Amino acid sequence: MNLDKESHVPSFVVFQIGSRRVALPRDCVAELIASPTLFSFPHTTPLITGVALRRGRIVPILDLGPGLLGGSSPEARFFLVVERRDPKMSERCAIPVQGECELVSGDVLPASAQEGFITGCMDLNGEQIDVIDLEWAIATSAKFSESSVPAVEALE
Amino acid sequence: MTQAASSIVAPRETRPREQIAVFSIAGCSFVISAASVQEIRSTDSLGGAVVDLEQIVFSKVRHIVEREARSYYVVSGCEHFHLPSSRPSTVLILRSAPVAVLVDHIEEMAEMRLLLALPKSFTGDERAWYRGLTVLDRKVLPVINPKGFLTPAELRQLEEQNPGMLQTAGAGSDRGRG
Repeated sequence: MNLDKESHVPSFVVFQIGSRRVALPRDCVAELIASPTLFSFPHTTPLITGVALRRGRIVPILDLGPGLLGGSSPEARFFLVVERRDPKMSERCAIPVQGECELVSGDVLPASAQEGFITGCMDLNGEQIDVIDLEWAIATSAKFSESSVPAVEALE
Repeated sequence: MTQAASSIVAPRETRPREQIAVFSIAGCSFVISAASVQEIRSTDSLGGAVVDLEQIVFSKVRHIVEREARSYYVVSGCEHFHLPSSRPSTVLILRSAPVAVLVDHIEEMAEMRLLLALPKSFTGDERAWYRGLTVLDRKVLPVINPKGFLTPAELRQLEEQNPGMLQTAGAGSDRGRG
């Protein structure tokens, strides 16, 4: 066994949004939380469905459904807390996910999908899982949703 | 005034305190610093002090109200926050801007010990609407920026389309008392 080689195999968190399973690099993910209390208030930013208070931080909830599914994600009980690393947006936010998440290691193959936010593809026991770029997926989702979300909808 | 430094909670003993009012509009709760409110009145008590604007520039501002020799643009809280119509029964007359805000009712007067920055992921109008967020009774509530109801550009537009009306209304009120 070549330990040095194994230590360089990248690891990913596989999660489900609606009917779609995708993966994010492990270092983007902070934790998975279940049933946090969500708070809503009027705003006009696309994708944000509310905020949660987590370990003394305000964590915005961002729905990636519009970009990944073409519509809002189904109601979620679990939220994946991720680190946004955009220079202007460096902060934690939470993504509503369905079901549990898996931590897996493996090599990433070139992406076959057309969607720009997919950076590669990995084989998980015969299942092809798309690896996504978080910032690109957020930008794509925001583009899919209306440029200005009426506050009334954001509160629903 | 409490400063919003980051979205992380600071130790309780180091936090400055601020007197606040919690009000609601269409079922949503908001916090405003008591120091930025000149008066809280029932809408019924304003009566004849309300003057219609000659030109409606923004649907959220349709009237001017006169109080104590000063005039204020009346801003509909529902329209400002894009909320469903409600029945405002209270008006908050602000201290630092010529603005009176229609709200449904005052929920409570309290003390705020915490002001958290609005997360950077919020990029819309709310960056002007709010000073930040606070936590009261384990609920996260937005803290109003009083200058966000009417920006300097909006105030300019209102004055351009209704020249002198704000001053005239105030002067009329003065004369009425004299």
